[in-house]
Amino acid sequence: MSSAATTSPPSADKVDGFSRKSVRKAKQKRSQSSSQFRSQGKPIELTPLPLLKDVPAPEQPELFLKKLQQCCTVFDFMDTLSDLKMKEYKRSTLNELVDYVTVSRGYLTEQAYPDVVKMVSHNIFRTLPPSDSNEFDPEEDEPTLEASWPHLQLVYEFFIRFLESQEFQPSIAKKYIDQKFVLQLLELFDSEDPRERDYLKTVLHRIYGKFLGLRAFIRKQINNIFLRFVYETEHFNGVAELLEILGSIINGFALPLKAEHKQFLVKVLIPLHTVRSLSLFHAQLAYCIVQFLEKDPTLTEPVIRGLLKFWPKTCSQKEVMFLGELEEILDVIEPTQFVKIQEPLFKQISRCVSSPHFQVAERALYYWNNEYIMSLIEENSSVILPIMFASLYRISKEHWNPAIVALVYNVLKAFMEMNSTLFDELTATYKSDRQREKKKEKEREDLWKKLEDLELKRGLRSDGIIPT
Amino acid sequence: MDAFKLMKELRVNYEQEAHYLPRETGLRLIESTTEDDSRISAKCRDAKVEDVWSLTSFFGYSTQTFVLAVNLLDRFLAMIRIQPKHLSCVSVSCLHMAAKVTEEECNLAPPVELIRIGQCRFTASDLCRMEKIVAEKLNFKSKAVTALTFLDLYHQIALSHCTDGKEILSLEKLEAQLKACLCRISFSKAKPSVLALSLLRQEIHAVQSEDMLEIACHIQRHLKITDAELRLWSERVARRLSDYSSPECSKPNHRKLQWIVSRRTAQNLHSYRTVPELPTIPEHCWDESESEDSCEDVMSSGEESLSSSLGSDAEGPYFPLHLRRQHLHA
Repeated sequence: MSSAATTSPPSADKVDGFSRKSVRKAKQKRSQSSSQFRSQGKPIELTPLPLLKDVPAPEQPELFLKKLQQCCTVFDFMDTLSDLKMKEYKRSTLNELVDYVTVSRGYLTEQAYPDVVKMVSHNIFRTLPPSDSNEFDPEEDEPTLEASWPHLQLVYEFFIRFLESQEFQPSIAKKYIDQKFVLQLLELFDSEDPRERDYLKTVLHRIYGKFLGLRAFIRKQINNIFLRFVYETEHFNGVAELLEILGSIINGFALPLKAEHKQFLVKVLIPLHTVRSLSLFHAQLAYCIVQFLEKDPTLTEPVIRGLLKFWPKTCSQKEVMFLGELEEILDVIEPTQFVKIQEPLFKQISRCVSSPHFQVAERALYYWNNEYIMSLIEENSSVILPIMFASLYRISKEHWNPAIVALVYNVLKAFMEMNSTLFDELTATYKSDRQREKKKEKEREDLWKKLEDLELKRGLRSDGIIPT
Repeated sequence: MDAFKLMKELRVNYEQEAHYLPRETGLRLIESTTEDDSRISAKCRDAKVEDVWSLTSFFGYSTQTFVLAVNLLDRFLAMIRIQPKHLSCVSVSCLHMAAKVTEEECNLAPPVELIRIGQCRFTASDLCRMEKIVAEKLNFKSKAVTALTFLDLYHQIALSHCTDGKEILSLEKLEAQLKACLCRISFSKAKPSVLALSLLRQEIHAVQSEDMLEIACHIQRHLKITDAELRLWSERVARRLSDYSSPECSKPNHRKLQWIVSRRTAQNLHSYRTVPELPTIPEHCWDESESEDSCEDVMSSGEESLSSSLGSDAEGPYFPLHLRRQHLHA
């Protein structure tokens, strides 16, 4: 009875059992949270250090380390009034460090590496706060932002410049940036704050590029994350970012493709299409798929068969996405591969074209405006036309949307010009089939009518109205 | 109808067909015109007739409607010189007029729909006016004797003489072939009776029926069609039909057609073609400065055996023993 922190809207707002999201949106404000909870007690005191530019060059490396040490202190941003002076001091120190790393030479001693990694770890590695609302819908709701962003952002910025620095040596760094570090980094991708994920994306991208020894591990962990996402939780906020990184990796694959990568495509990337929140990362996913096919065209058949297997049956928004992705794939497909999958492919397109959802039908029909696809269809019109004909003809008569009917005309006209004799044959067969159906229908109706009359007569006879 | 009545009907139509022929001089003029903005050329007319066929087929009209529409169109064009920009209006008017007399009321597409689907630039009232003009100039009431009239009669005659005629000679196929011929203006110069007979003979040759051939000759004698004329048109028909069914398809004119999509769909087109922000990371990039790492990099070639167990947390040694040993000997 008690509404203890319930996030569902009051029942008055429920229409047919569905909650009105618009109502929820109006109530929502930009929320912030942070998991850095300060231990209660004394305020933090940091002794202000001189600026790096104010000390002579030989002393700078040591000062650098001291500042790093100071930045390991973490502040509580949920309490907006505490330690304001010290927060500002840390912020300006971090700023200074960012600049220092960007322009300086000879500051990176061996000692610096563990201290840098330590400072970064202290700041960024944390248990992410649970989502404010139980029903956080990544597509509709505003994300919860990280409250300590003023510091966090600078830490990320600093780390990236550090990694990109000319003096950076992976052979030293790899002692500190190891598998454990990467694992914690990956967990952060679940942050709701998109700014943080964006930085993480760059960080991981650089690490992958520079640490060859970590590459296999990173790929494996990303696999795990995706598989958990698809088959267990359907929750992870960083799928798009990880896919973007994978895109740049796939782009760089050496040929011939290793078996591991092909497995990844079939066992991880294709099943990713089945997730409900596909719209959040579909662009990146489609890009990865197309990159794979550009690397190895022989993968086309399993990819398309996979998509057809997972074709959305009840979600029209997803269907439109699939159609978009399919068009991208067809844009780069080789004619020999096209011939292998054209039958099942066009059977599905034929179903899409007949969809009562006009956006799905429209998107499918628009394929005929793509010159390359048209040239492929032309070459194989004797196979494709019979598959498409019946539904096209039927929707030209039956579809509710006039714009769709107009598009169907374009498609039929294109087919007519492509293969006139086949078109005539199919028209004739279609017409005779329809006539036969009509005849059957009429016969059936007549039969029922006869039965009715018989019944009627019998009734009238038994009532003595008609003489027996 | 019995054979005798059919032959009589044949005669009657034969005598009337001259009334419905387009003026030969007019047709020749069109044929000789080169591509020009001020006059209709043969190519122009042929393309328009194909459009008329598209519309006929789309709206489910019969071949009869189409043949009649083309007949009206050719007669009108041979009589009156019009500008190419009006050709669309004239042809659709002819189609509508033909449909009104041939099709059932319930199957008739309203002029607005014809215009919308055909992506025409004129209005329904333009259409109405043009219909009146055409009807007036051609003194058209409801009927015309066309090649289809003869084709139909020939078919019936052939069936009445042969018991299995229906299986051998398909009227639908003949109609489709007639349609193919009518898409070229040169066939409008032929007498309908001769054109139909040429088509009939062509098909009889294809199915190789001796009986049918006899009937065709019988018809030829009955109508007193000369061998020379028949041969001329038979050759032309054969050539046209072989062109029509050749695998080399004419490139569809889909560029001319408008593809109007809804705003939402248009917004989402090509939304995936985003240039990725992250630079490509080449696989196995061997950087000079990282030569110290070579021992680990050699290990990475052992990835296949490791990563084949996707998703499992059970791990063997990260650096497989046999490879480590390999390096020590290198």
